[in-house]
Amino acid sequence: MIVSEGLTKYFGAVKAIEDFTVKIPDGQIFGLLGPNGAGKTTTMRMLSCLIKPTKGNAWIDDLEIGNKDDAQKIRQMIGLLPEVPGLYETLGAYKNLDYYAQFYDVPKAKREESIKKTLTDLGLWERRNEPVGGFSKGMKQKIAIARSFVHEPRYIFLDEPTASLDPEAAKTVREYILELKARGDTILINTHNLSEAERICDSVAVVKNKMVKIGNPKELARGLFSRKIRITIDHIANTLLNELASLKGVSAVELTKNQLVLSVQNPEEQNPMILSFLLTHGVKVQFVSEEEHSLEDVYLKLIGEDQ
Amino acid sequence: MRWTRAWIVMRKDLDEFKKQKLVVGSIIMMPLVLGVVLPLVMFVPMINMTPTTDVWDVPQLIITGYLSDDFIQPSTNRTLENVSMNTSVLTNADLINAQLTDVTLSSCIIENTTISHATIQKSILNNTYLNNVVITESEGKNLDGQNIVSINSSLSFTKIKPSELQLVLPLMLNMVLMIFIIVPATLPTIIATYSIVGEKNNRSLEPLLATPTTDGEILTGKVLSAFLPTMAATLFSFCVGVSILDYIFLSRFGYIPLNTTTWVLAMLVLAPTTCFMSILACVIVSSKVSDVRAAQQIGGFVVMPVVVLMLGVLSGFILLSPLTIVLAATAYGCIDLGLFYFARAIFNRENILTNWK
Repeated sequence: MIVSEGLTKYFGAVKAIEDFTVKIPDGQIFGLLGPNGAGKTTTMRMLSCLIKPTKGNAWIDDLEIGNKDDAQKIRQMIGLLPEVPGLYETLGAYKNLDYYAQFYDVPKAKREESIKKTLTDLGLWERRNEPVGGFSKGMKQKIAIARSFVHEPRYIFLDEPTASLDPEAAKTVREYILELKARGDTILINTHNLSEAERICDSVAVVKNKMVKIGNPKELARGLFSRKIRITIDHIANTLLNELASLKGVSAVELTKNQLVLSVQNPEEQNPMILSFLLTHGVKVQFVSEEEHSLEDVYLKLIGEDQ
Repeated sequence: MRWTRAWIVMRKDLDEFKKQKLVVGSIIMMPLVLGVVLPLVMFVPMINMTPTTDVWDVPQLIITGYLSDDFIQPSTNRTLENVSMNTSVLTNADLINAQLTDVTLSSCIIENTTISHATIQKSILNNTYLNNVVITESEGKNLDGQNIVSINSSLSFTKIKPSELQLVLPLMLNMVLMIFIIVPATLPTIIATYSIVGEKNNRSLEPLLATPTTDGEILTGKVLSAFLPTMAATLFSFCVGVSILDYIFLSRFGYIPLNTTTWVLAMLVLAPTTCFMSILACVIVSSKVSDVRAAQQIGGFVVMPVVVLMLGVLSGFILLSPLTIVLAATAYGCIDLGLFYFARAIFNRENILTNWK
């Protein structure tokens, strides 16, 4: 489990991140969202024991971040994908991964097996000995991601893992991340890709040099936006709209072409009443669905409010 | 510190280094040019201008005592021309243009001859090169050679005019030896100054720092990856250069002028400690600057202590001997140790990651 309490980092007078408090249970995928310069990378570096917090504490499996004696043990448990791949450009993909696995004392046979599987999955096995300097940005990113978990760490920190990847490769990486989660690994992701975060993250934290909001993407949306139902109808008289708006629990009604959008407090309770009203008044109901708010909506609202 | 991790860092760096063909070429070529070509350019013209014989003032001796007739050999009372003989005893022979080794000569007239490991008595020697000979009760002129042992107190060979080569030879040999010391100090500067800042510029340092590898292990690996190719190239050029010089001197003058103990000690203890000192200083520079060019520019200054040593030797203030070599190596070794601990103390991961742009 990763726990942080009031984790803060200042570079001189410049605040990178302040009061970052979070509890990430084992086996979760946790997303860190925020604009550029919001302190996401700094937070990840602090948790990787690369830089020391100015204030606050954090622990990974009871090992304390910032404690010199624990730093090496923490690094042994984590795998880090930094913002840029940072590969050894003159070496092949195999050697890049092999050297890193050796730093974590992975036995030779296991290294060979693991690297072969990973590079095969990423479609790079045939080109394993070519200098990676000649590879595309996306291919380098794939190798860098593979490097972060080649030693099978329990905690994986990924900074923009699918940036610069084509949709197919991004999908492969997402599947990999979900596979790692299924294995019980805990994954922390910095990302700007909100739809990706929405798809794979169990929880997210929106940060902007401080913790803005934390929670499950769906819960965040519900907390920020009123719930809406969308009803597709053939036709409705304008006079009925006012009556519809006055029904208990309905706060607003909008009509666009044949789409009725109602803001309701509790759709589970009020939907039967609304549908009964419409049917009683001869309105033909074709579809009923709840309006979903994307993580992007949540993010933009939170960041907008913060500004 | 776990040596296996330092070893992995070193192997990784060497693997990268091997791919840089031009750098590998310069590492091999520079010692060969400085340690082989340069000494040849210095020595060969001078050797060619130097006569193989020196002028000796040999007192005329009156042969006294009994001329032995005890040795009755096949070669007695013969005139021998253009012969090569080993392990013989000659009595009452005239020797002209002969090559003799391990012989005992008695009552001979010897001209234009090279004699090695011989005992000569009661003979007349002219225009002859002598090597490791014992001479008694003889006379001669225009003689040359080394390790001439005179048993007879009345016989003394005094060289009255040394050649120019013999005058400058010690100085030139010291210069050559110092070249072999300065090469391992200058050669690794490019690799060593690149070691940290180069990885930072390639953005490959952050993933390395995120591994369990300690500061000491990273620094040790970086130092070894610069040390091993440098010393291998230096020792190779040393063996080639010294062999060629030995061959030239031996074939021309019949002897080897290098002081083997001093030279071997210098290569085994002084060159490595000098190399470590240079590398450690460069690694320190590399971990403090943010640009490869700046690192290499500043790294150029790390050879200054070695240049000072070289000037001391060439000016005669420091005499090269086994003792001075060991003392200098011990001093450099202590400095190396201090530099390593200093490098580790100032190696700051946070500073490297956040202050370098």
